[in-house]
Amino acid sequence: MQLILPSLIVFPMLSAVVSYVIGRHSKKARNIFTCSASLLVFGGTLWLLLMALRGEQTLEFHLEGFCGMGMNLKADGFRSLYVCVAALMWAGTGLFSPQYFAHYRNRNRYHFFCLFTLGATLGVFLSDDLYTTFVFFEIMSFTSYTWVAHEETPGAMRAAETYLAVAVIGGMVTLMGLFLTYQALGTLSFDGMLKAAKALENRNGLYLPGALILFGFGAKGGMFPVHIWLPKAHPVAPAPASALLSGILTKTGIFGILAISLSIFREDAVWGLVILLLGCITMFLGALLGLFSIDLKRTLACSSMSQIGFILVGIGCQCLLGEESSLAAQGTVLHMVNHSLFKLVLFMCAGTVYMHLHKLDLNDIRGWGRRKPFLMICFLMAGLGISGIPLWSGFVSKSLLHEGILEYVHEGAAYAGIAKAVEIIFVLTGGLTLSYMTKLFVAVFVEKHPTRQKEFDENRHYLSLPGRIAIAIPAILVFLFGLTPSFSMRALSDLAMPFLRSHSHAVNYFSSENLIGALKSVLVAAVVYPFIVRRWMMKADVKMGGERYINRWLKHFDLEDSVYRPLILGLLRIFGCFFSLCDQLLEKALMPFLMTLGSLIAEGADRLMDGLIVPCLEGLGTFFGRILDTVTDLSVIGLKKSVMRTRKPAPRPTVGSLLAFRIGLVLDRIILFLNHTILRFHPIRTKFVPVIAAAEQNVLETSRYYSRTISFSLLMFAIGLLIFLIFILR
Amino acid sequence: MLLFLNVLFPVFMGAVLPLFHFKSRILRSVYVLLVTCMTSALAFYNVLTSSADSAFVFLHLTEKARCVLQLDGAGKLFTALVAFLWPMAVLYAFEYMEHEGGENSFFSWYTITYGITLGISMSGDIITLYLFYELLTLSTLPLVMHRLVNGRAAAGLKYLYYSLLGAGLAFAGIMLVFFYGDSASFTYGGVLSSLADAQKPLLRFGYFLAFLGMGVKAAVFPLHDWLPSVSVAPTPVTALLHAVAVVKAGAFAVIRVTFYAFGPALIAGTWAQAVPFCLAAFTVVFGSAMAVKEKHFKRRLAYSTVSNLCYIVMGALLLTPQGLDGAFNHLIFHALMKISLFCACGAIMTRTGREYVAELHGLGHSMPVTFVALTVASISLVGIPPFIGFVSKWKLAQAGVLAGSFYSIAAPAALILSAILTAVYLFVPICYAWFPAQDIQEHTSDEKMDPSWRMKLPLLVWCISILVLTFYSAPLQAFIADIANGIL
Repeated sequence: MQLILPSLIVFPMLSAVVSYVIGRHSKKARNIFTCSASLLVFGGTLWLLLMALRGEQTLEFHLEGFCGMGMNLKADGFRSLYVCVAALMWAGTGLFSPQYFAHYRNRNRYHFFCLFTLGATLGVFLSDDLYTTFVFFEIMSFTSYTWVAHEETPGAMRAAETYLAVAVIGGMVTLMGLFLTYQALGTLSFDGMLKAAKALENRNGLYLPGALILFGFGAKGGMFPVHIWLPKAHPVAPAPASALLSGILTKTGIFGILAISLSIFREDAVWGLVILLLGCITMFLGALLGLFSIDLKRTLACSSMSQIGFILVGIGCQCLLGEESSLAAQGTVLHMVNHSLFKLVLFMCAGTVYMHLHKLDLNDIRGWGRRKPFLMICFLMAGLGISGIPLWSGFVSKSLLHEGILEYVHEGAAYAGIAKAVEIIFVLTGGLTLSYMTKLFVAVFVEKHPTRQKEFDENRHYLSLPGRIAIAIPAILVFLFGLTPSFSMRALSDLAMPFLRSHSHAVNYFSSENLIGALKSVLVAAVVYPFIVRRWMMKADVKMGGERYINRWLKHFDLEDSVYRPLILGLLRIFGCFFSLCDQLLEKALMPFLMTLGSLIAEGADRLMDGLIVPCLEGLGTFFGRILDTVTDLSVIGLKKSVMRTRKPAPRPTVGSLLAFRIGLVLDRIILFLNHTILRFHPIRTKFVPVIAAAEQNVLETSRYYSRTISFSLLMFAIGLLIFLIFILR
Repeated sequence: MLLFLNVLFPVFMGAVLPLFHFKSRILRSVYVLLVTCMTSALAFYNVLTSSADSAFVFLHLTEKARCVLQLDGAGKLFTALVAFLWPMAVLYAFEYMEHEGGENSFFSWYTITYGITLGISMSGDIITLYLFYELLTLSTLPLVMHRLVNGRAAAGLKYLYYSLLGAGLAFAGIMLVFFYGDSASFTYGGVLSSLADAQKPLLRFGYFLAFLGMGVKAAVFPLHDWLPSVSVAPTPVTALLHAVAVVKAGAFAVIRVTFYAFGPALIAGTWAQAVPFCLAAFTVVFGSAMAVKEKHFKRRLAYSTVSNLCYIVMGALLLTPQGLDGAFNHLIFHALMKISLFCACGAIMTRTGREYVAELHGLGHSMPVTFVALTVASISLVGIPPFIGFVSKWKLAQAGVLAGSFYSIAAPAALILSAILTAVYLFVPICYAWFPAQDIQEHTSDEKMDPSWRMKLPLLVWCISILVLTFYSAPLQAFIADIANGIL
């Protein structure tokens, strides 16, 4: 039996894949398949709701190890109610979309992601701990991105970009909050957190994680100041997707906020006040934006934001009131359900208009709804409901919220003054809601188009039967709930009480106080609509022949374009600059520095080598070189002197002294004379001059040689001795 | 013995590949695939049968200095990862390398690198780890510089310089472990002996040096610059080596040095934890921010790797079992996601020649398979639940929160900031691809440009394993938890 909970999540995801495969072959079969899949899921959830209404035991499901932390699902009253609402929304849009998408591209993609998102959304609403919530919340965020981007026009891409950025940043900030919560409390399960937070003495450490989580869920819910994606994404998404985005996806954000507000911050007045004020701003700002807008779907989107504000006010009151929060709790849950139903009807009506005209500007679609009673009645039901007119369901939930605030004011607690101001804004916003709904109703269903009215009136078969059923059922529900609050709505709100940690409380829905509250809002509208909308926000247009709606909102007064985008892009740029600076520093400064250092060291080493070591080495080298040199030289000389002695050159012819020359000359002449005379036939060829000179040289040489030798000195000694002997012997 | 064979076989078969002079592509492909598959099969066999006690000493220098192969829990994990990814990457490389040329030398080195990477994962002590770590640098260098075109030579030199610097730094640290270590083989909690007590400041400094040295391959901030530069290499190289083998070997080595050599007890709570942690945390954000700035898709992915590796390093540096758990988780998961991203990117580059992010407009419809893989991997890498990237990031951040002191803020903050930036740099190309601006839409043809099955099969296998692990990873988680707690 517990397996029905995970199968509610897994089944749509699987059928998403199946529908894609079928869609490759047959469009028609795919349409039937997706419709029946969502109807089947609706059946399952309806069964859950009936079980809860009969008071059967609550189903729970635990899966260990899923994504590291485990998955906890639970189907108590509130969750059963809300998965049922979600499945109803999907079934409704599923019936409506075949006709709407008849001329679209990429329908397979739409259906794939649509069913996938259904599974994830059911996962969010069934989750019993923040971790599981977060996991499915993220899946849902990213699969729903394709809805916003579906049309692929520049406007859609821009809105999708914003949506994705909000989803990513919101998701990551929430994740950080979850880490810190886990650190502080040690658990993420809803009941566990309540206990752990109660046991905690100093609760100041919880505000930061709480704020981070609030940021992420609030962004999805469309809470001020992170609502920016909402007014942009809804108008560009296909109408069924807008209905889902607005009716259900925003509620997942609310679910997250509820989860932490009623566990960690239960009975925490500061937290309650913050939520109350944020809700109050969201509520008023949304209504104001809606009033100014002249785009049908944008008005509805802003209205969604405003209604989310109402719900937030309810949550804030619950935190402020603590134990006595029954009225605010009932109001919160009923307004959540109501708003889902209203938006389902309204967006599908808007989609019907768009599918025929492909325009959303009030001036272009003016009068299209005339002579279309079905569409008009359905729109009227939802419009009256959302404006809080008695006998329609919105009145009940708004009255309960109103009473919740009043209860706090009457209690006279610390922030009663602020609560009083919130109450006034609450009534005022109710009036604004009625005003912009009147504006839409009058523009589409009452006024006439200056040129195309005839063509509009002839368009009678504007909606197929499944589409009619899809629009009619929620519209009837709105009216039925409003007629029988103490029977139907009471039962629903009682179901939700355990989750909201409150108890049921008998209420007189149609008390005079409540009716007066509604009357006040109507009075505000009675002033605003004729005097502001019809006068200031319309301008006579001669060309068109009548009056035109004009957008009086200041163009530059856009939080996203003037604050967030520059901020984020600037931050990204600064981030990039900072880190590329680091990189550049590394590359341009640190590396060159290291290089310089390295080269300095290298150069120093170089100098050292050049100046000191090299000369030293050189000196040493020279020294040893010289020695070697000398050794070589000596050996060469030795060789030269011994083995390889060079020979003496031949003696040069000598000239000799003058005497020898004369003798030679004389001898030569004698020879010449003899040769001419006696030796005529045998002449002597010898030249005596060189011979004599050589002989003289020889003699000289010899005499010099001998004169230097011992034998010569002995000879001289002997001659002298001889002369001495002769001298004695004489 | 089987361990050694497991390392030696691909190295040998790779080395002899050029000797065969393959005439046809198919023959060589079969040869390479066969060798790779056999190695992988052997690796899986080893993972399943080998126990931490059976060490194989293949080089005995002295009593203490030995080269040991051994498979403990962490080694098994990394071995299994490498053995799972490699055959697929080889299959992918066949088609990719057809237009690159020089396939003989490429596949030769590719196969050798496989063996060496296995060596890193199987090394049983720090000396062996260092040996293979250096060999890895050398064997991947020819791959990075393949054919020396497109400035690959310069990138290769840069890679070499950085790696050599790392080798030098790591060596100094490793020697300290060697001298003050008790036992040779890796032990959970460190191997330091009683001798080390007196030398704690020195050892901390030694750890820091070793961290920086191993951090070169893990691309820790001041030493990361080589990683984006080598993205000029052929895509199979960048995908496998620079998203999985080399960088993961770096991260793995950091884990080894931190948890199994120096030990958390030495560094916990000192500057030697804080400084590397800050470097890693800084790199986490730095890499993502640079990736946002980068217009070239492949370089963008390279910067993303820089960031993601430091997730692992950061997790390890928390020095708690939870941190190690997260680190190992991210080691495995990031490998899967990044290899899918790189291969999808390579497929785009080969089929269309588009390299810049702005050129991807509308390609999703003409290359559906490639882009589905790219999208799944990207969403997972950003950390969108329930995908595996989210699981590992969650564990890392939770470990950070539980680690106390300033880590409990710094770690999650760095992770979240980086995740947002990751979303920016990955979702922008994906949105371009699936939702082109309308004027571009008209120019894109309906012709299908998906690559052939050899590229598609690895992409699909990885993509499917991401999905399978997303939905059922309990045994793996239990295994990793055991490793992180020192049981395995």
